[in-house]
Amino acid sequence: MKVRIRFFARFRELLGSEIMEEITKGTSLAELVRIIALRRSREGYDALFDRGGTFHPFVIIMRNGVRLSPPEAEHVQVSEGDDIAIFPPVAGG
Amino acid sequence: MIAVQTDDVDIGDLIHRAKQPGAGAIVLFDGIVRDDDITEMELEAYEDIAIKKLEQIAERARHLYHLLSVDIIHRTGRLKVGENILVILVSAGHRKGAYEGSRYILETIKAEVPVWKKELRRDGNHWVPGEYPHNTGNIPLNEEL
Repeated sequence: MKVRIRFFARFRELLGSEIMEEITKGTSLAELVRIIALRRSREGYDALFDRGGTFHPFVIIMRNGVRLSPPEAEHVQVSEGDDIAIFPPVAGG
Repeated sequence: MIAVQTDDVDIGDLIHRAKQPGAGAIVLFDGIVRDDDITEMELEAYEDIAIKKLEQIAERARHLYHLLSVDIIHRTGRLKVGENILVILVSAGHRKGAYEGSRYILETIKAEVPVWKKELRRDGNHWVPGEYPHNTGNIPLNEEL
């Protein structure tokens, strides 16, 4: 099963901009991001997760254009073709 | 016109096109790169979502403030001091709706549209923190775009 994960701004600098990842059915969104972040950069992992492996509350998580809370990301299982985006608080304008 | 783009925008042309029947007031907001001892500003967007959010904000503002037209152009890429970052141009029958609608659009963009700014300085680069750092105003949860 293939999904796309995109990181933006500071998270992109630490973890890369776009990753296509092959995953097994039943993987939660949070688990998927933990696996990728750990593999890519310890600093990047620490930017997203606390010591207990939970998303920092300010991290914004989107799945197919819909924002999920960190607790939701722990339970939502990713599906074939999902488009996941992870980014810090917005600062445009 | 709703756009996220690297190119600059012709503000005179936007004003010209906003002068339509029924319009009695046009308000322009032009956010520019401030000279905060920076060399340049780098802007990044989650473009497909940013455009959908801008369209949604424009539509809401049209409805809430009875605007006749709304243009929002948010630039990305590297910008020099004094260059346009965000142009919002609204027209309405009267000044009250135009002023309030413009302000509503600006503040909602700052809270909800996925764009980030990085200040490039001689002594290092620095991501500008969002004004809503702890889930208070950033992108509503579970909202279908």
